[in-house]
Amino acid sequence: MQLPESEVAVLEAANADEATPVDALAAATDLPPETVTGAAFELEEQGLVAVTERVDETISLTDEGRTYVEDRLPEVRLYEAALEAGADADPVSMGQVIGTSGLEGAEVDIALSNYARKGYGSIEGGEITADSDADPAADPEGNALESLADEGTLEADDVLDQLERRGLVEVSETTTREVELTEQGVTELMAGVETAETVGQVTPELLTSGEWEDVEFAEYNVEADAETVEGGRVHVLREMSERVKDVLVGMGFEEMDGPHADADFWINDCLFMPQDHPARTHWDRFALEQPTHIDELPEDLVERVERAHREGVGEDGEGYHSPWDEDFARALALRGHTTSLSTRYLSGTEIGEIEPPARYFSVEKAYRNDTLDATHLLEFYQIEGWVMAEDLSVRDLMGTFEEFYAQFGIEDIQFKPHYNPYTEPSFELFGTHPTTGELIEIGNSGIFREEMLEPLGVDCDVMAWGLALERLAMLTTGAEDIRDLHGTLADLEFLRNAEVTY
Amino acid sequence: MPTVDIDPDELRELTGREEKSDEELQEDLFGLGLEFEGWTDEDEFELEFAPDRLDRLSVEGVARSMRYQYGDSRGVHVPSTNSADWTIEVDESVPDERPYVTGAVIRDVDLDEDGLDSLIQLQEKLHATMGRKRAKGAIGIHDLTMLKGSAATEGSPTIRYVGVEPDEDRFVPLDSDAELTPAEVLEEHQTGREYADLVSEYERYPAIYDDIGLFSFPPVINGRRTEVSTDSRDLFVEMTGTDQWTIDKMLNIVCYALAARGATLEDVRVEYPDSELVRPDLSTKTKRVAHDRIETLLGIDLDPDDVIDLAERSGLDAARSEDEATGNEESSITPLEDRDGLEERDGPVGSDESNAEDAASTGDLVYEVTIPPYRVDVLHPLDVIDDLGRAYGFNDLEPRYPEVGTVGGRHERSRLERAARTQLVGLGFEDMLNFHMIDEEQNYERLGVSPGEEVYGAGEPATIKEPYSEDYTMLRTWTLPSLLQVLENNTHRAYPQHLSEVGFAAELDETENTGVGEGRHVGAVLADHEAGYEDAKARLQALARDFDVALETPATEHPSFISGRAADVVIDGEPVGVVGEIHPKVIVEHDLEVPVAAFEFDLEALR
Repeated sequence: MQLPESEVAVLEAANADEATPVDALAAATDLPPETVTGAAFELEEQGLVAVTERVDETISLTDEGRTYVEDRLPEVRLYEAALEAGADADPVSMGQVIGTSGLEGAEVDIALSNYARKGYGSIEGGEITADSDADPAADPEGNALESLADEGTLEADDVLDQLERRGLVEVSETTTREVELTEQGVTELMAGVETAETVGQVTPELLTSGEWEDVEFAEYNVEADAETVEGGRVHVLREMSERVKDVLVGMGFEEMDGPHADADFWINDCLFMPQDHPARTHWDRFALEQPTHIDELPEDLVERVERAHREGVGEDGEGYHSPWDEDFARALALRGHTTSLSTRYLSGTEIGEIEPPARYFSVEKAYRNDTLDATHLLEFYQIEGWVMAEDLSVRDLMGTFEEFYAQFGIEDIQFKPHYNPYTEPSFELFGTHPTTGELIEIGNSGIFREEMLEPLGVDCDVMAWGLALERLAMLTTGAEDIRDLHGTLADLEFLRNAEVTY
Repeated sequence: MPTVDIDPDELRELTGREEKSDEELQEDLFGLGLEFEGWTDEDEFELEFAPDRLDRLSVEGVARSMRYQYGDSRGVHVPSTNSADWTIEVDESVPDERPYVTGAVIRDVDLDEDGLDSLIQLQEKLHATMGRKRAKGAIGIHDLTMLKGSAATEGSPTIRYVGVEPDEDRFVPLDSDAELTPAEVLEEHQTGREYADLVSEYERYPAIYDDIGLFSFPPVINGRRTEVSTDSRDLFVEMTGTDQWTIDKMLNIVCYALAARGATLEDVRVEYPDSELVRPDLSTKTKRVAHDRIETLLGIDLDPDDVIDLAERSGLDAARSEDEATGNEESSITPLEDRDGLEERDGPVGSDESNAEDAASTGDLVYEVTIPPYRVDVLHPLDVIDDLGRAYGFNDLEPRYPEVGTVGGRHERSRLERAARTQLVGLGFEDMLNFHMIDEEQNYERLGVSPGEEVYGAGEPATIKEPYSEDYTMLRTWTLPSLLQVLENNTHRAYPQHLSEVGFAAELDETENTGVGEGRHVGAVLADHEAGYEDAKARLQALARDFDVALETPATEHPSFISGRAADVVIDGEPVGVVGEIHPKVIVEHDLEVPVAAFEFDLEALR
């Protein structure tokens, strides 16, 4: 008959008179033990050998156990210190005894929890007594450890169980397999066993010729690491953005798109931000040097926005007591928030009038001339969303945001009343960090003011919120420096090793 | 966000809650939206606040809000004022840029060190916020006993707000021993230099005189003669600015703070050339708030008595209106009728034709809500509803998911971006995400091109006026410079490095309304030991096939690429990009030691 090389070797090395352990066969055949075992089972299936198994138990000391062989058990040391302090006569303060015993750290607890159990004395109300009849030299656990250290063996009994519970010894099982030739095996060997040919690569020729039926495939080391493949992959922050978009689309939100360099009119004036608001004059804004101004703004809208700023909206409305200048409104800047998209959409100039109910979102870049550090970038992705409907309430706002954040494992949202010039009521959103449990700020929200909506021609309620995508990504991926992710300083190694977000 | 420092002992005293621990106070303050940030060196609370309630810029205002929160105060309280003795006369010579003034006399103040510190802090915080760093409103507080007013008007002592030539007169400013002219103050005095920009363009400088002479140079600095100390018993508070309403409100906040310390307020006449005011203006305002709107906005049913209770606990007064509701504030534009300030109007100038079309849908109940004179943040009935919500406790509201069905979807551009990115990743590219801001050197010079050059990627830049740093002075006109920078920063990482980016790029474009042509580019670099033209072209071809577009690559010259190994990317007959082997001078410039093949084209071409 024909057999693979390894099986032939094992068959020839095995004995019909006595069972041979796998290790011995491995030595005789110069094959790895696992190959011998595999071959033996193959041969057993064909009835050529019998494989028997024996389970052996070995007991060994743990590191802690070895320490106690040297130093003796903590409870014994405590007992001796107690005796020395005269605790066999009168109770002695625990602190004093522990001090002289030299026990430290976890050893103190170990000593205390075994002391009374083993009859060395009692511990009560911070005082310790010592039983003068106790004999540390006869401590069965101590003796068992010693004999294990000296002779390497130990009878399996109660003491062994106790030592195992205390983590001082380890009991491990090893399985020894032995192989013995069967009669059939002897017969086949007598008749002659040949080595079958083995092949490496499966080739088209092998397949088409039918030769594959007669060959044995050489065994590969299937456990070894293969070469690293750097396949293409989507950027980790982009994955997060896709995930957010999935969630929002699933919640019925439609995506907005629009210019990054835009007139302050759309970025701020339409948001009812007074022109002398510190955020507008402050240099955290990226005003454009070239080009400077937008060509055209819808005239009637400019008029309505100016009136809202100057006079307010509604019968009791009041405006800001701030200057308003159209030239200032036409100045171009990189948008400080993507709410400029919302004002464009709400005004009806982007896709025509939007009728309630409607939900819109964007996950797009905004620009802030702030500090550049591990958690702040000059450019970041803002998640912006709004819901337009008749008679929206603060409760609807809370319900919507709870649902959104729950998708990212952020529960127990708290709403802290806040101030924004363009929303009222306004809330800062706080949530519990999914892993650290800290309360963290996760967004800003509110119901758009009528001074903002009325000039835009919206006559129902709109609630909105925003947060930085990077913040959500750092929360859910655990990234510590945002610059590893975003920008030209990105570390390819970090991106390659980043866990996939889905 | 701004901060205010509050002495907890003073807070306990002014609220009458001596038993409150520091921790309890901090918790109560958080309820007002004042977040405890830490302790100051003087053992005071440093509190962070949102800049709407500017009446809480000092311990007196914070204490007032807390008394409402505790229920120890209810409703609107307006301190009484004694009739005017003093007059501020506004001269024709006052600079046009800063025409407004207001003032009040405060008598029988008892300022200890803490009280004086609090007053100074209030002044500083008002300057920083409402006063817009003194540009819009500046406060001067003087020791009244040091002023001498002549009887210009019917025996009333008078001070005069005038404009002076920069070097016309002299006075000794605070923190100085020398007599200086206003112009010298701007050059030589520390505070003068700090605020010089506010007035240096003026032809005439603002100045305030009494009978003795010049004693204040607003908005820059007061004179030493009238400096306030803990011995001062009577004060003259004047404010100048660019808007009457703003300085009147700032004055109200200061008056309320001093009245809370037991002082007596006294009116001051302000005589403009053609009108006269009496200040402080402690008149209240009224907002009409519909019951229905309160209920829909908070999402709860409320009993009218509860609404009135919530209002009083917010320091407001509310009464059911006798009139019928005039309806939804959202849909009508009503010209302002009752704006406070200089141009006070006699009666309504606007129309009363407010839209009442859906007023009667859920009842006509309307409240007349009285707003105290220290509030500067109540512009609209909505702001009253926010107060009611805070008093009710927003976090006691039960969230609900709005039962409103809408259809979600991605923007087409965003779907195209995603599809391109997916195909690139399938072709083995690592997706990058780079900054949109860059500088001229990176964007042009290091790639061997110059701004406006007639080659792909070298369009004229949109530039930033005040960049964060010299590395971010413009919007990138193409993506290859960013991708080459990533390669440059990752030479210690394993090769091959095949990077791509589907990202934003922009250049000047006069045909656009904003003057900036914004687009998305598909950029890719192949950096490895064997990278060559064919590798880039092969992947470009694959993309063209994936999106079913016709690709041609006629030879071209591009300074960033090796001559003879560069081609225009022509898709469906339109030149939309470039493909080739990056020129060695560009590779070496980026400290790379491997060949780089690359392409970049407009994403639109795949549509």
